[in-house]
Amino acid sequence: MNRRAFLRAGCCGGLASISPHAFADDPWQVPPRFSRPDAASDEGGLWALMDRQETRLRRSPFNLDAPELRAYVQGIVCQLAREHCPDVRVYLMRVPNFNANMAPNGMMQVWSGLLLRMDNEAQLAAVLGHEIGHYMERHSLEGLRAAKSSSAIGQFMGLFGVVGLVGQFGLVAGTFSYSRDHERDADRIGAQLMHEAGYDVSEASKVWTNLSLELRANPDASAPNPLFASHPGREEREATLAELAARYKGGETRETLWQQKTAPFIRGWLADEIKRGRPEQSIALLTRVATRSSGAADYLYARGEVYRLRAGEGDLDLALTDFGKAIALGSEPPETHRALGMIYRARKRGADARASFERYLQLAPQAPDALMIRSYIEELSA
Amino acid sequence: MRLILALAMAVGIAGCATRTQVLKVEPGEQVVGDRLAIKVDGPWNHISTTLLAPAQAWTMEGFPIDQLLIYSGVKDGEPVHPIASGTGGKSFNFRSNMQPDEIVAMFEGALTRDGSTFKLAKLEPSGFGGAKGLRFEYAIVRKIDNVQLSGVGFAAVDSGELFAMLYSAPRITFFPRHQQRVEEIAKTAKVRARPAGS
Repeated sequence: MNRRAFLRAGCCGGLASISPHAFADDPWQVPPRFSRPDAASDEGGLWALMDRQETRLRRSPFNLDAPELRAYVQGIVCQLAREHCPDVRVYLMRVPNFNANMAPNGMMQVWSGLLLRMDNEAQLAAVLGHEIGHYMERHSLEGLRAAKSSSAIGQFMGLFGVVGLVGQFGLVAGTFSYSRDHERDADRIGAQLMHEAGYDVSEASKVWTNLSLELRANPDASAPNPLFASHPGREEREATLAELAARYKGGETRETLWQQKTAPFIRGWLADEIKRGRPEQSIALLTRVATRSSGAADYLYARGEVYRLRAGEGDLDLALTDFGKAIALGSEPPETHRALGMIYRARKRGADARASFERYLQLAPQAPDALMIRSYIEELSA
Repeated sequence: MRLILALAMAVGIAGCATRTQVLKVEPGEQVVGDRLAIKVDGPWNHISTTLLAPAQAWTMEGFPIDQLLIYSGVKDGEPVHPIASGTGGKSFNFRSNMQPDEIVAMFEGALTRDGSTFKLAKLEPSGFGGAKGLRFEYAIVRKIDNVQLSGVGFAAVDSGELFAMLYSAPRITFFPRHQQRVEEIAKTAKVRARPAGS
């Protein structure tokens, strides 16, 4: 599910029009494991197509080289999917956008941009539980059958991020989503699965709230978005998720474990976020996550770097402040000193620039730009 | 990068019906955009298109296998590979006060709008076009087909204008095949004085 699809899921799924199932007295029952459909059926064809795409996905250079993290996320999936666990295969992809999706053959993609945005294990479980809900209810098959034209089928395939088939997943997937009823069901099922796996269901609404914060920071946010024109608003979504949380009380966030497991990857994901070219959204994100209990120096450096690269009115001063705070905290990335040096050099503060560059090379002697930085030091020494 | 692929498709399927033309670049001195003179030791193919403006796009093997992008006199504020208005994509504009890392970041942004990844392998000072400039090496994983590309770039800012050359090709076979030729072209680059009155 991409960012828009997730929002749409929220908009559609949670709203005032609460599903007849949503607060039914009888809990939803996990269906038995699915057997492989007949190859001659439409569902069999869909599975075969997804199998081929999974082969490509497995070999993709975008696959995150992180077997331990993958095993950890697979473990979360197994807690949620229970007897369906052997049928679900998780792929972590290094793509800096918010996205997770699950194909009917059990292929599940989770993008690094989503992982960066999760504050704890429960939040990830909320997203994964929602996707597993679609899978268990076989919504994709209904979606395929509802897609009458070839272009609609193409958009439908885009929902799973089919590489090469429709190419630009981020663009295409935003134009197709499950039906409102499907999203509503997936929300309900996801919340139940979260609860039964021991997670704090109230974290589900925070995923939405946090993402909404980023979207509102977008300078174009005030412009009407045709994709959302027919969807209810954020407040209704939050109300529905709050009602689900009230129904499913208790549970854990597993924040500490989450932060331990993701810590080795945070710098790489932040580097990708800086490069995403969406400074307003990145600043909103980084301002929020800088309050996390660990990694603050990395987040402050990243926000400062976003300011520095945006280079708008006052941005360099904000960058200097963030870099200073990161260094004061200690364990700052070496690039903090390079970025400081760049600003000092531009401001003709030669001694400060030189000291910053020297510190950078001391911390990162093998950096790809070491030769360029040495040339700056020589220039500043002359 | 998506533009390049779209361009390649346009060239491949509609060679006679679009504004895109493939022109032969003869060996010898070539002047790109009136300002950047280079010498080539063999023929290249010039893909005449506005899709990669302000770059002039050359290829040896054909798009999208390899591409040599040549930028001559990009002005302060001018976008690199501008996007159509209303598409929501980010614009990457040259600023005359950009530092080397910012120039690399600008190209990186313009080349990875489609979600391709870019990894800087080396950035070093280097003359280009007769001015003090930079040379950089990079790797790209192209999102649309997962092909891993290698690239080398040269750039310099002269009188507030950007002059640059970027070459990329699949890291296996094609990039090694042509890298040295591109390096030699870069060595011959010379920025010419702006014509009087312009």
